[in-house]
Amino acid sequence: MTLGQLASRALRTSRPSSLIRTIISTPDLNTSSAGAAAVSDAPPPPPPDRTPVGGARVHFTNPDDAIEVFVDGFPVKIPKGMTVLQACEVAGVDIPRFCYHSRLSIAGNCRMCLVEVEKSPKPVASCAMPALPGMKIKTDTPIAKKAREGVMEFLLMNHPLDCPICDQGGECDLQDQSMAFGSDRGRFTEMKRSVVDKNLGPLVKTVMTRCIQCTRCVRFATEVAGVQDLGMLGRGSGEEIGTYVEKLMTSELSGNVIDICPVGALTSKPFAFKARNWELKGTESIDVTDAVGSNIRIDSRGPEVMRIVPRLNEDINEEWISDKTRFCYDGLKRQRLNDPMIRGADGRFMTVSWRDALSVVAEAFHQVKPKEIVGVAGKLSDAESMIALKDLLNRMGSNNVWCEGNGLNVNADLRSGYLLNSGISGLENADVFLLVGTQPRVEAAIVNARIRKTVRATQAKVGYVGPAANLNYDHQHLGTGPEALTEIAEGRHPFSSLLKNAKNPAIIVGAGIFERKDKDAIFSVVEAIAKQGNVIRPDWNGLNILLLNAAQAAALDLGLVPESDNSLETAKFVYLMGADDVNLEKLSSDAFVVYQGHHGDRGVYRANVILPAAAFSEKEGIYVNTEGCVQQTLPAVPTVGDAREDWKIIRALSEVAGVRLPYDSVDAVRSRMSTVAPHLLNLDEREPTTFTAELKPECSEKMSKDPFANVVDNFYMTDAITRASKIMAQCSALLSKK
Amino acid sequence: MAFTMRAVKVPPNSVSLEEARTRTFEFFKSACRSIPTVMEIYNLYDVVTPSQLRSNIAAQFRKNSHITNTKVIDMLLFKGMEELGDVVEHAKQRHHIIGQYVVGHHGLSQDSGTKDEGASDFLKNFYKTNYF
Repeated sequence: MTLGQLASRALRTSRPSSLIRTIISTPDLNTSSAGAAAVSDAPPPPPPDRTPVGGARVHFTNPDDAIEVFVDGFPVKIPKGMTVLQACEVAGVDIPRFCYHSRLSIAGNCRMCLVEVEKSPKPVASCAMPALPGMKIKTDTPIAKKAREGVMEFLLMNHPLDCPICDQGGECDLQDQSMAFGSDRGRFTEMKRSVVDKNLGPLVKTVMTRCIQCTRCVRFATEVAGVQDLGMLGRGSGEEIGTYVEKLMTSELSGNVIDICPVGALTSKPFAFKARNWELKGTESIDVTDAVGSNIRIDSRGPEVMRIVPRLNEDINEEWISDKTRFCYDGLKRQRLNDPMIRGADGRFMTVSWRDALSVVAEAFHQVKPKEIVGVAGKLSDAESMIALKDLLNRMGSNNVWCEGNGLNVNADLRSGYLLNSGISGLENADVFLLVGTQPRVEAAIVNARIRKTVRATQAKVGYVGPAANLNYDHQHLGTGPEALTEIAEGRHPFSSLLKNAKNPAIIVGAGIFERKDKDAIFSVVEAIAKQGNVIRPDWNGLNILLLNAAQAAALDLGLVPESDNSLETAKFVYLMGADDVNLEKLSSDAFVVYQGHHGDRGVYRANVILPAAAFSEKEGIYVNTEGCVQQTLPAVPTVGDAREDWKIIRALSEVAGVRLPYDSVDAVRSRMSTVAPHLLNLDEREPTTFTAELKPECSEKMSKDPFANVVDNFYMTDAITRASKIMAQCSALLSKK
Repeated sequence: MAFTMRAVKVPPNSVSLEEARTRTFEFFKSACRSIPTVMEIYNLYDVVTPSQLRSNIAAQFRKNSHITNTKVIDMLLFKGMEELGDVVEHAKQRHHIIGQYVVGHHGLSQDSGTKDEGASDFLKNFYKTNYF
């Protein structure tokens, strides 16, 4: 009890009002701070671990070459060639930027990424400055903050007040960074400049007044898309981004500039003024318009798909999607089948209930002989429905099921015979490409972008055998038909020496070859080339097949191989599951055709019964892409009208027909799938192929002299959804590559 | 005139299941006894017979026959008594009575027809909707 406390006690009792407060002091409060630090000997708790931005993983190509820098006082180890911005990203600090993009070259013209580096007279542009060992980087000092505020002020000076009418509002980099890093008040009293809008086509809407001249679109077009359409004209405040020659952006990757543009200068024309991003529900799904299986996010509002946006997947599509993927969604709203229909005696369709439709189909099933039953799976079918179709037809006694695009004589024994064996990301390691009968630019635009990336980065050589095509990278046109292949196989062609000397040669064969009669001969020649060039090795299998449809790989994995070649000619019962591109001319006129699909496309013209099914955005289905990666779509919107999911229709039909299939739920169908192809349950994983083409027996067929033909004549309209889409019709009219 | 006849008494909580059972039967009897009054008030003579009304009331009782929680039974009884009071004191109208107690639910009669005799649950659900 110290004297002070006694005194306060005494004072308290004497004076009831507490106007005077006694100060109670303790001895350790009276000592100086230096002494206090010596007293506390427990060290301060260590700072929490910093994880890289976005949960990224840092890849050290050469672990001995790691350097250490200090970001905001925190030491971090980075590989040698990284820039200051990347070092800060590894340390978990997100530096604002407009012109820098991790997949494009460095421009350094926005100056928003300025950070303070010790021993530097002025703040450095972190996106361009390489990180040197021992550098001390400070991102939250007053200098860095003032720099950001200043840059923001400059950018907003000529930026129009368009936020209420700009589509990018809510997802705009300029809005977000000005809220986070800009100053709170402006002091701009002059007039703003405006720029005339450019016409880039029916897909990209331009309001060039909003452009902040970051040049991301210019760099994307030249580097990734390979078309040098866009450029910067003028200087200073009169700078404009445009094509100058009034050209439309015809590239198949042109929609990606919409994602890349940080402001609302380049936006999606079909999506203009339709919705704000906060009212949209995003569903992670897979694209099915081609075989690449790009990861997408379907943004929907209620029952309507509003737009499709790419998702990051380093192995398949990085951050890009093709125009067909991005803009085909309005085909999901037109020409939809929503009620079961039966063709009456007068040739017109009448809407009936599911009971009646299924009973009619079941009756027709029992009236034909098993050998006359044929099933064709469509381009957009998922694996569940294909296994259900195969099971149903097998139970009815027929084994004539196949998938569109696989041809009738397809060989599904070896997986390496129908997949992209090196993987889409593995193509980056190739140094010589031989494209046989495939135009990757229209068949799989993302694979083409990957080839272009490799060609650009490592100066890889590309040889192309097929009709004259406009690939957006340097290539040698070696020939148009199989004779060129025989020349290369026998070593007479100068390209064969290139193949032999390559470290990782890649041969890409197009799936259009499946439809040819001399398919086996061509494949044997290609395998001979592969053997010569040492293309197939234990560590690298460069003999790749580029598929055309999203359903082909899963169909071949599940064994949808027909028994006989010409089953369509003698068929009396045809079950088309979304198959629109089957040639039904040879079908007899009394054959009973059932069409189960979601669009009233070509398949319904010959159908007797229509069963409405769900499109890819409305069902949960497993798809396998051309490299063998298994992915699933998720339902983003409810089904249209009375439509049901494909496998459910087949299961119900089997019960009505008396051959009830043993599965009732999605899990049961998937466990059935796993008995045939167990890898189909490992989602988002790529099952590599084990046996290569060396196991195949010799082929004795002769090659025909027909040159390779263009498989895809109109890039924008290839399947039921894209053919029903108004945007795709506009694109094919305006932008088709002549 | 009948306003005071059926004052909705909040029943004290039933001690046991037997007491709830007794109370249920009492309520059923009072409902059946008020059927002639109901037919007179809403002029249902040409629409339905008393025995049909009785069967309907009994069916509604039977729907909840699986419940064993006394508190839930008490709550259901309270609601039933309230409903009976409303009907008897003419707080409802003819179309309510016809819709709720005469016509019945078509869904049940459809299922019990001969169309779907051998159908599995999957098929029955399939005919109704895509989401099950």
